[in-house]
Amino acid sequence: MASRQSNARRTQEWLTAYSFLLPNILGLMTFVFIPIVYAFYVSLHDWNALSPKVFVGFQNYVTLMSDADWWHSVSRTLLFSVVYVPLLFCLALLSALLVSALRGRSVGAVRTMFLLPFAITSVISAIIAMFLLDPRNGLANQVLAAVGIGTQQFLGSPTQAIYCVIFTLLWINLGYNMTIFVSAIKEIPSDYFEAAHIDGATGFQRYRHITFPLLRETNTFILIVTTIASFQIFDQIMVMTKGGPMDSTEVSVLYIFKQAFQMLNMGYSSALAFVLFIIIFVLSMIQLKFFSSND
Amino acid sequence: MKIMNRFVLPSVSVLIGIALIFPVYMLFISSFRSEAHIFDIQIWPTEFALANFTEAITSSHLLRSILNSVLVSTTVTVVAMLFHAMSGYALARFQFPGEKLIFAWMLSTLMIPFAVIMLPLYLITKNLGMTNSFSGLIIPAIFNAYGIFLFRQFYRDFPKELEEAAYIEGLSLAGTFFRIALPLSMPIIAPLTIGFFLANWNSYIWPLIITQKETMWVIQVQLANLVGGGYVTPWNVVLAAAVIAALPTFLLFFFMQRYLVEGIKMTGIK
Repeated sequence: MASRQSNARRTQEWLTAYSFLLPNILGLMTFVFIPIVYAFYVSLHDWNALSPKVFVGFQNYVTLMSDADWWHSVSRTLLFSVVYVPLLFCLALLSALLVSALRGRSVGAVRTMFLLPFAITSVISAIIAMFLLDPRNGLANQVLAAVGIGTQQFLGSPTQAIYCVIFTLLWINLGYNMTIFVSAIKEIPSDYFEAAHIDGATGFQRYRHITFPLLRETNTFILIVTTIASFQIFDQIMVMTKGGPMDSTEVSVLYIFKQAFQMLNMGYSSALAFVLFIIIFVLSMIQLKFFSSND
Repeated sequence: MKIMNRFVLPSVSVLIGIALIFPVYMLFISSFRSEAHIFDIQIWPTEFALANFTEAITSSHLLRSILNSVLVSTTVTVVAMLFHAMSGYALARFQFPGEKLIFAWMLSTLMIPFAVIMLPLYLITKNLGMTNSFSGLIIPAIFNAYGIFLFRQFYRDFPKELEEAAYIEGLSLAGTFFRIALPLSMPIIAPLTIGFFLANWNSYIWPLIITQKETMWVIQVQLANLVGGGYVTPWNVVLAAAVIAALPTFLLFFFMQRYLVEGIKMTGIK
């Protein structure tokens, strides 16, 4: 009797579990898993809008090796990442330390102000940046003129544009990352700091020997997530510069997007996308290994 | 030290905070200025040109695109919450063959960057006849292994006793989930709802790919088109449109900030 009941329960458990999982299995299969397999399949073909697809093996991968425009886009992505990720990390951590040190009524207001730009969508953030950085009349140029510095082209300048994009992203993402740091700092038991205080540790020593080591998981998380995101930067660039001027903001995702949807080189763009996938994968593995074996 | 804590730190924080919200403030006050005065270096409101807003609404499908965004973001969020809660619950509570494999496979989809699948995803949805349609905007956006993962974490710490009692009372396992566990899941549903809604409201690249018809555009695509449409940007109209488009997320931000912060913490700490 007991075993029949538990058998019935087990059957019910299996059936319920599979039916609860079914929608997501089907969805993830159709809209994530099959596309990645299909991407690899397409990458082995010469296929554009005008001609039927022809199997060419790894020819697209050979072609991309010597595609200067592709490697230019990779180098612009790297530049973006190398500047953006450490800056965001440090600014978010510093802001978090600052905000966690606050007491009293100002805390809520300050946190709201820091987080507010996060409520701005990427397209709106791009619009605001374009407005303030307008090369002829923008507020930034008017302020520079007032202090005697000449008009800057900003988004119209091949040397400045990418930094303007970086600046925009720092602005809207600072609060989000700061909030993650603040909550991690709050989790640190306060007796650690009290003990250190009694032992005469200075503020910096407390930070160096207590806060930073205990934040290691959060540090790793933010670094990896931000790096992956930085390799996929698209929205702001698409709105603010469309890759220009002179391809100075032509990052990899934008190059893949143009190959796929404007030049309609579907096989080739899939090969590029796969290489980007491998680059992102290897980078996150390296970071994970580096930061988790750094005892 | 006391002076430092009492005055210096708060003042520095407030100054940085003001710098961070200043661009948003400029967006708001400039959206009320006529085209001739749009670049005036005046940090106080000077005009009240409501014409900007009427022009923004009448010169493009702005309201239609906002409606599209509301519909898409809401549907994606509601369906995603239901599906992800069900899957998370199944993975946390039930024992069945293939449990570990299914979970690992779901998590592995998190490694795939969207940029890598955007073209095949477009080709597949096109073959399914989903371009320029709500189904194309909504269905591919629903599935997200991270949501499943977070629900699984939540249900693993969820007390079993209530459900066991309900089961003994004769409720089926599915019934136990829908009547007992799901209604008690607000601590995770609330922050994830805000997070999913904002993420989908923000979504730009997929709607850009899947919709060519202007009436199917979501708000982000519409805004991007306004600013990149011609050689000269009509800033007064663009800024007014951006303000209208920003209102829903600002309301969400100010009234639901607690849940938003909770959601951010949830994604940051595992």
